[in-house]
Amino acid sequence: MLGFGLGAPGTWLLPRPFSVGWRADDGRVGILLRVFGAGTRALGRLVPGDEALLLGPLGQPFTLDPGRRIECVAGGVGLAPFIFLAAVEAAAGRRVRLLYGERTGPAVFDLDLLGELTGHDPEVFTEDGSVGTPGRVTAGLDPASDALLFGCGPTPMLRALAALAAETGRDLQVSVEEHMGCGIGTCQGCVVRSADGRWVRSCIEGPVFDASALRWDGS
Amino acid sequence: MTADMSQTLFGAEIHSPVFLASGTCGYGQEYADLIPLDQIGGIFTKAVSVEPRGGNPPHRVAETPGGMINAIGLENVGLDRFISEKLVWLAANLDRARVFVNVVGRTVEEYRTVISGLDSRDGFLGYEINVSCPNVKGGTMFGTDEVALADLVTSLRAATERPLVIKLTPNVADVGVFARICEESGADGLSAINTFPGMVIDIESRRPLIGNRSGGVSGPAILPMGVYATWRARQVTSIPIIGIGGIRNGDDAVQYLLAGASLVQVGTASFVDPDAAVETHEGIRRYLERHSVELSELVGALADPGRET
Repeated sequence: MLGFGLGAPGTWLLPRPFSVGWRADDGRVGILLRVFGAGTRALGRLVPGDEALLLGPLGQPFTLDPGRRIECVAGGVGLAPFIFLAAVEAAAGRRVRLLYGERTGPAVFDLDLLGELTGHDPEVFTEDGSVGTPGRVTAGLDPASDALLFGCGPTPMLRALAALAAETGRDLQVSVEEHMGCGIGTCQGCVVRSADGRWVRSCIEGPVFDASALRWDGS
Repeated sequence: MTADMSQTLFGAEIHSPVFLASGTCGYGQEYADLIPLDQIGGIFTKAVSVEPRGGNPPHRVAETPGGMINAIGLENVGLDRFISEKLVWLAANLDRARVFVNVVGRTVEEYRTVISGLDSRDGFLGYEINVSCPNVKGGTMFGTDEVALADLVTSLRAATERPLVIKLTPNVADVGVFARICEESGADGLSAINTFPGMVIDIESRRPLIGNRSGGVSGPAILPMGVYATWRARQVTSIPIIGIGGIRNGDDAVQYLLAGASLVQVGTASFVDPDAAVETHEGIRRYLERHSVELSELVGALADPGRET
């Protein structure tokens, strides 16, 4: 969770959940932030030397399966955790497939920087067709592949991935997006529906879930 | 001078006036890793009902100007698991921090069942009664119906000798009337005030943003309303008041103390900074030292408090 804390007078902002995007050698961590509303706009105005309040790391990460190939499917700012994951894998001499989709070309992250951060060349898809392959990122998946699938992005994208995984019997882990209050499990604000009908907290039991453990039909 | 932050209230030594508010601190365990709970006065647990409750569909929370809205739906583990898991942990892990168990029910009988299940056990000091939930029979809320509230408090008073604190709802014309009913029906204390009903609409989808459609608004936006409710309740009652609503720091808390609260609860601010309650404790202490005043002298020390009306 990243916010301003209560220190700065005149500000009020609930902290927002973010993935660790990348890690620098000097111990700093990078966070990928896209301005959507007032909160991300305020956080986006932070400059070096400003103080912020970071609580974490929290929750459950993607679980790697040694020896098994990984395909990461990122929608929009859902790219963040895969920058970190791809970089860690690259440092260990392994490759992942990194598929990255945006609605429009101008939204696409700096690809040179992305290559530098990840040690990978991501496959880019845009719905307006202005950058990379035209179409949705999910169209880039090979139906015959049996690689472990990781997904992070808007709920409709995750739902499409979950449907595809269910059809083809592929293993899929997803990082879900839900409004979060506390980030530590107390407020029960960030729940999603489990396959067996319970509410589970995305901050503690998630945000990464096995897609088959969640209910995707909105019921 | 180092200010003495302790008071004797509800028959117990309470070593700090600052507590964590119900619904924002779980059953204590989650915060124990983050803040030293024994440095503050204690906690008010998440609501406990007879049966486990699943809660509302998402979104359950959203930020609002100067605060947040929530409609969790009183999701909780239920009485049996509260006793076997949560209360056991509280009894074993808290030393100086005092625990009030927040109790919720749909009928008087449900409240009584929770209290009779807990009353002889260790690990807590008293009860905070949530009266802001619909009464099954009449569809009204206990907290907004004078007769239902009097019946409930009278019945619970007969069921326990432990401290009985009623958490008032602001959703009434005059909170003073309901404060007085609680006192006359045997309550030992009042929590003022619960969240305010509110709504947020997603203008793109034209739907309510919160899954339950409406929810309770908390945070700094309601600070003046909470201070007012505390002052109003103080005018017409003499039992201890626990001030709650929008407290972020010692200065906010001192407003409640001056208005007549003996204790305060920090709620939503803990989400913004888990240290908020500890900071509030320190802030009150600094105020006492700066003004060379005792905590007990500060409670209700509002200059020009007005007259009972």
